[in-house]
Amino acid sequence: MPGTPYPKQPMYRIDYTKLTPEQILARLGPAATKGPASASQMSDAFAGKSLKIVTDKGSVLSYRFKGPNKLTLSEDGGKPEDAGYGALTHDKLALFAHLIPGAQRGYAVVIDRKTNLATVFELWFSGYKDNREVQREIHQGYVEQAGTPSPSARHAATNRMEGHAYHWTQDTGIETLEFYPSAAYSHFVELTRQGGELGYCAPSDYIKVDDDFYIYTRTECEFSGTFTVYAIDLNRLQQIGLRLGFDARDQLDYSLFRGEADWLGQIAQFEKFGDVAGNVVPPPKDAKKGERRLYRPFLTMPKMTPAQVNEAVAKKTSVFPPPGAGPQMAGNALPSSDFLAGKTLTLRYDNGPVMDYRIGGPEDLEWRKDGGAWTKARYKAWEPAPGVINFGHLLEGEPDHDGHMIVADFDNGLVTCFRGHLNTPYFANEAGVKVMFGVIEAEGVATPGYERHGFTDELLGRALTWNYAPGLTSMHLYSTPHAMSWIIFTGDDAGGLEWSGPASYVKIRDQLYYMYWLEEACNGTLGTIVINLRTLHDSGIGYHCGNEGLSMSSVGAHMRHAGRFDIVKYSQLKTERTPA
Amino acid sequence: MSTPSTSSRRSFLKVGALAAAPLAAAVPAIALAGQDHMARAQRLQDEAEIRALHQAWLRKTATGTDASALFVGPKAGRLDPAVGSVAADHAGEPDRIEVAADGQRANGRYASVVEIETELPRTTTLTQMAHAQGGGVVSHSERRLLKAEYVRTAGAWAIGALALERV
Repeated sequence: MPGTPYPKQPMYRIDYTKLTPEQILARLGPAATKGPASASQMSDAFAGKSLKIVTDKGSVLSYRFKGPNKLTLSEDGGKPEDAGYGALTHDKLALFAHLIPGAQRGYAVVIDRKTNLATVFELWFSGYKDNREVQREIHQGYVEQAGTPSPSARHAATNRMEGHAYHWTQDTGIETLEFYPSAAYSHFVELTRQGGELGYCAPSDYIKVDDDFYIYTRTECEFSGTFTVYAIDLNRLQQIGLRLGFDARDQLDYSLFRGEADWLGQIAQFEKFGDVAGNVVPPPKDAKKGERRLYRPFLTMPKMTPAQVNEAVAKKTSVFPPPGAGPQMAGNALPSSDFLAGKTLTLRYDNGPVMDYRIGGPEDLEWRKDGGAWTKARYKAWEPAPGVINFGHLLEGEPDHDGHMIVADFDNGLVTCFRGHLNTPYFANEAGVKVMFGVIEAEGVATPGYERHGFTDELLGRALTWNYAPGLTSMHLYSTPHAMSWIIFTGDDAGGLEWSGPASYVKIRDQLYYMYWLEEACNGTLGTIVINLRTLHDSGIGYHCGNEGLSMSSVGAHMRHAGRFDIVKYSQLKTERTPA
Repeated sequence: MSTPSTSSRRSFLKVGALAAAPLAAAVPAIALAGQDHMARAQRLQDEAEIRALHQAWLRKTATGTDASALFVGPKAGRLDPAVGSVAADHAGEPDRIEVAADGQRANGRYASVVEIETELPRTTTLTQMAHAQGGGVVSHSERRLLKAEYVRTAGAWAIGALALERV
């Protein structure tokens, strides 16, 4: 898209500039005086009025609105500061925002004009090592009314928005799919700016004004650092909000917006009935102002060179370690299958090699590629549906340390392989994947002719929970044909931290799918699973390289249907994609 | 040699009578009765102090507060850090406290329900995320026998060692 501030190839590694505090301050200066931009007519509801907002943490904000876009603020009785501001109203709600001239901070305030309750977002830059990441502290309070006792009620954090999703169209024309499958994070797909290929995740706040109105925030941590807050009218499906941050061209986005939504449905919550608590991921003990628990995978993942990868692979390669020795992702795995034992077969891929196999027992085979030399390998196999075999092995000697993860449908003669490999362009230990479709040639297997497995959007919008082992449950949300998001549950079974990555979905049979996800810029793992929607089970294989070496390990979990969002119409399925 | 007793007064009297029987032939009856009363009073006092010590330890364990002052020293045997909490198992056997004849050592046996916490290894993305949100620990409850050793130091009882035994 010409002029887009994002890369042409959407990925999870947009190289945002590490802005200095001085650069940020310079960019904020004019905006602090002028106030935020808005494509919609801003409100003059506050013009000529004075407000005193008292918050529970002790801060008192005294505002004098000198006009429709100029105000004076005194914080805790301090020296009054002039600033530009903007305001929007919707029904009983009003939202106004301003920066403080000469500082890297400001406020966004949502007021319920009927109850006079207020939620104040104190916002600032340069509060984290990545200066551009907006920090926020939430203050609950009220607008003081002379001669009236202070109200005891407050807006409050809630999980009542968990499970919602909307297609928002803002007054700027920007369209996003926004999913709230967690009570602490959210997932968003930018249809306009990025084409809707990938979805991203951000820590979020969910605040209940009353049963009809809620407030949502997200901070695009690990990416641009942009902060978004909006108030939602659930009945009318309308929003008023603020964006504050720097885009990929380091241009300040400081704008108020209105938006309208299409309701995309709702998925299940898993908290106990009656549990509507918010702040489901409590901040760490002795948290500093604004601090919260975040997932920062790009910060914490190992980043290795090709030489380091070669060294790690040579040092240790682990292929299907015994139960208990490997990761916890196979606690509920299917029993392994000896279906392949003793068979000789050829997997002929249309867009890949010809792979010949001589299978020994249930865990040993020999393979050769394109008629080359035979090589022994350890494998494991599972039968996720009758006649459908999921198996995998490493290809020792291949320069990129390939691993083949395969679903072979012996009833129909069809095969799909996810070829995992290392030495990808950004970090050598990050897995890449190529999807290969083909046929099985073996005794007693009928030729499928021109038929092949193919990419599908049949899983699009679904949310499935996966219990891998006691205490280890996640939920997948298949949010685009090329991406998915995963959510971790808290101890109270609320949706907690969330992240996302590229993915692809292949139909094997009705209600039987083969998918992969790539933990791109996030540990580099390639996860592959066969999903059987009828048995509510999967079987799968993980492929991962880190400092500890290269591993191929089994994945298996009990599944629950969590619901489905109606989003197919927003995606145009592209049938070819081979990410790095 | 240690004298077994239980937490019920009825059991204590029964055990006390049995322990006193062999001495009856050699000691005048009045003197015997006086010694027996003193011994029983001391034993009751010791048991009460040990029971209070155990209750204090349970409270500190339940509230997560520092219990080191209840132990004989920093090297005293503690429970595995994986034990998240210990509570009395009211469906189990009665508590048993045995005070040694020298009155300087004792041990206790307490039927307990313990919560075992197992930390998920940080080897996968999901477990890393679980830890990042302050979780990553799997808990389950088990019935265990809590075995405690006590030592009298400076006139007061302190915990010498704690161990859990499967039942």
